[in-house]
Amino acid sequence: MKRGCWERAVRCGCYAAGFWVVSGAVAVVGFAVRQGAPHVTPKLLFGGVSAREALFGGAPVFDGLWPAVVGTFYLVAGAVALAAPLGLATGIYLAEFSRGRLKEVLTVFFDVLAGVPSVVVGLFGFSVSLLLHKMVSPRLGPCLLVAAFSLMILVLPYVIRATQSALEGVPQEVRITALSLGADPVQNLAWVLIPHSFRGIASGLLLAVGRCAEDTAVILLTGVVVTAGVPRSLLDPFEALPFYIYYVSTQYASPEELERGFGAALILLGVSVSLFAVAYAVRRAVGHWALYRA
Amino acid sequence: MDPVIKIRVEELTFRYGTRTVLRDVNAVFFEGALTAVVGPSGRGKSTFLMALNRLWEEVPGADARGRVWVRLDGNERLVSDPSFPVTELRRRVAMVFQVPNPLPMSIFKNVAFPLKVMGLRDKAVAAEVVEDALRRAFLWDEVKDRLREDARLLSGGQQQRLCIARALAAQPDVLLLDEPTSSLDARAAGIIEELLLTLKGRCTLVVVSHYLEQVERLADQVYEVADETLQLVS
Amino acid sequence: MTRRERLTRKILGAATLCAAALPLSILIFMVVLARPLFSSFSVTDLLTGTWEPLQGRYGILPMMTASLLLALASLAVAFPVSLGCAGLIFGLAPPVVTVPLRRLVQLMTGFPTVVYGFVGVFVLVPAVRDLFQAGSGRCLLSALVPLSLMITPTMTLFFSDAFAAVPRPILLAATASGADPVQRFVWVVIPSARRGLAAGMVLSFGRAVGDTLIALMLAGNAARMPSGFLESSRTLTAHVALVIAADFQSLEFASIFVCGMVLYVLTSCAALCAWRMRAAAERYSG
Repeated sequence: MKRGCWERAVRCGCYAAGFWVVSGAVAVVGFAVRQGAPHVTPKLLFGGVSAREALFGGAPVFDGLWPAVVGTFYLVAGAVALAAPLGLATGIYLAEFSRGRLKEVLTVFFDVLAGVPSVVVGLFGFSVSLLLHKMVSPRLGPCLLVAAFSLMILVLPYVIRATQSALEGVPQEVRITALSLGADPVQNLAWVLIPHSFRGIASGLLLAVGRCAEDTAVILLTGVVVTAGVPRSLLDPFEALPFYIYYVSTQYASPEELERGFGAALILLGVSVSLFAVAYAVRRAVGHWALYRA
Repeated sequence: MDPVIKIRVEELTFRYGTRTVLRDVNAVFFEGALTAVVGPSGRGKSTFLMALNRLWEEVPGADARGRVWVRLDGNERLVSDPSFPVTELRRRVAMVFQVPNPLPMSIFKNVAFPLKVMGLRDKAVAAEVVEDALRRAFLWDEVKDRLREDARLLSGGQQQRLCIARALAAQPDVLLLDEPTSSLDARAAGIIEELLLTLKGRCTLVVVSHYLEQVERLADQVYEVADETLQLVS
Repeated sequence: MTRRERLTRKILGAATLCAAALPLSILIFMVVLARPLFSSFSVTDLLTGTWEPLQGRYGILPMMTASLLLALASLAVAFPVSLGCAGLIFGLAPPVVTVPLRRLVQLMTGFPTVVYGFVGVFVLVPAVRDLFQAGSGRCLLSALVPLSLMITPTMTLFFSDAFAAVPRPILLAATASGADPVQRFVWVVIPSARRGLAAGMVLSFGRAVGDTLIALMLAGNAARMPSGFLESSRTLTAHVALVIAADFQSLEFASIFVCGMVLYVLTSCAALCAWRMRAAAERYSG
């Protein structure tokens, strides 16, 4: 039968595609786990210093990932702290207060921003730090603050879109409930619309955290270094996990360093994947969240 | 004694995009009476209610022309008057929807929501108003021990009475009800009908319905939607 | 409108203005900082010349070629794979396969790029070196495989969304006229989702062009015209990351802003195209 033939071929092709993707994922995860898992120990983080001293005693860690972990954490915290208010406000404005042509233009603007490659964002951050260096103080250069600011630009579109689409997804009957009781638009927003779209917004923020934690190109241009210790101020250079992984893959000096690189890759992979998993779980729950049934 | 005219509608025309739903509607509603608006579904009955409290402004693509007056505190006021805040209008001309729409919060907070909107902070007063509203909506005895529970756990009929209580908490002059019993079973609908009869007098009620027997039992005056307009039937 | 409402609107509007200023200011910065080059070279020279900074030639054609070549090739690999995966997820496979596959694809969007590059360096590069006797093993081919794997999950999810947006009546009509799932997928679903598919492809192209780490770690970074997939090459993004350490006053340094501009223009064109396609798709289905 000629007809059954090409159909079977299509089906087989689809399965082959699925197999290719699955084996790609298995290769990446398998390699990271096989090479990294044996090294994920307290020693990986703190090297020769004991965990207690590093955490509470302020003892510097020279041969562990601890400073990179802390640096990444600061970066993420800073970037999200900057992106959340700006992104929320913009998303709310787009969903609730802008109409017609203005809204269309703004949406396109943020689509463009979402598409800007991270290395260009990093380049922008770098030029901002050059500008600060020239105009404000020669002491300023690429640093934690500049990197967090650049990462903020990178993830801002995620937060804006998540907020906007969550708010726009609020059903009409919920939207007018409070209004019909005499609430003004601001009250409606604060007491009904935002609580109702909370999960969608939260999943956007989680994705933003994940992106900040994994992005390398931005920090590569805005002040990441191989050894800096735990950063003491926002104006210091810093270490970060993804950069450490990149650094090790290009030029590792010793087998210990390579082992730390494998460990770092596994940790970063684990953190990113769990962040994305939680984000998707939160968002899926929104879909099944049939609150307003009769 | 002549009955007082509570709401006067003059030459109301209503469009969704390019589609005209209502054309040149004229109608009056008397104070303390229950007026029913009947007619086949999809012909603009609910739309008509939204024109009375300007809720149509929140519906994308909707457009209303014409004049609606409401008599409040002895004066007739034009609802589209820019000096008349729409939030006050909607508190005094409250609305209950076809599908019960409790907000995702406790029973108490739902009923107290209009007070929160008005900026009332006093807990004791709020508790009093909530109890009174729930009693008037025949719900107090069923929920007095579970006021902190999520309102969405109530049955459909209870939810609808909760929504009526919530509307009453704002002490409205007019209560608009959009097919309030159509999503409920017969028993729950019966309770709501009884409740509406007791509300007559203190409140002006406008009820959209397509159950003719229900209308005959309840209404003092009946309008029918036909040919894009409202006609007085009885 | 109450005072509070006006105030809220003003604050939110100001925030929006700040956010909207960002994409513009990025472009302005690129143009301003690339200006030293434009005063001594013409745009055509820069865009079509070779990269020989010692001879005073700052053309970025080799990098542009490598970027486009790599992006288009990885798109060519990722497109059929994504289409197949999205087809499986759409219903060519039983739910036992579909549900875990969808989860996996979603999770894969979270794999850090640097980890793809890292695994590539230690697994793929030696393999390519031994298989093809290709020098160090760092070449376009070594970057192509992980790059296509990286853009596949997002593309698959885009495609799945496009398939899910096909109106149910159309599907029912196809089933009712006796089409089996594969026939329905090929003859009905793919054609009616074609605008969504195109938008997904364009966006993935933007991602592939914009990726830095995979190319930087695996493509070899030789700044000359690529003549084959086994050649060491340097993409625009890698070029930016490599030259950033140069002297701030030099023309070499200014040239990375030309790269930034080209990347910006390419990706924003992709974003604009995708937006127009999606708008068209919405009009079509709605």
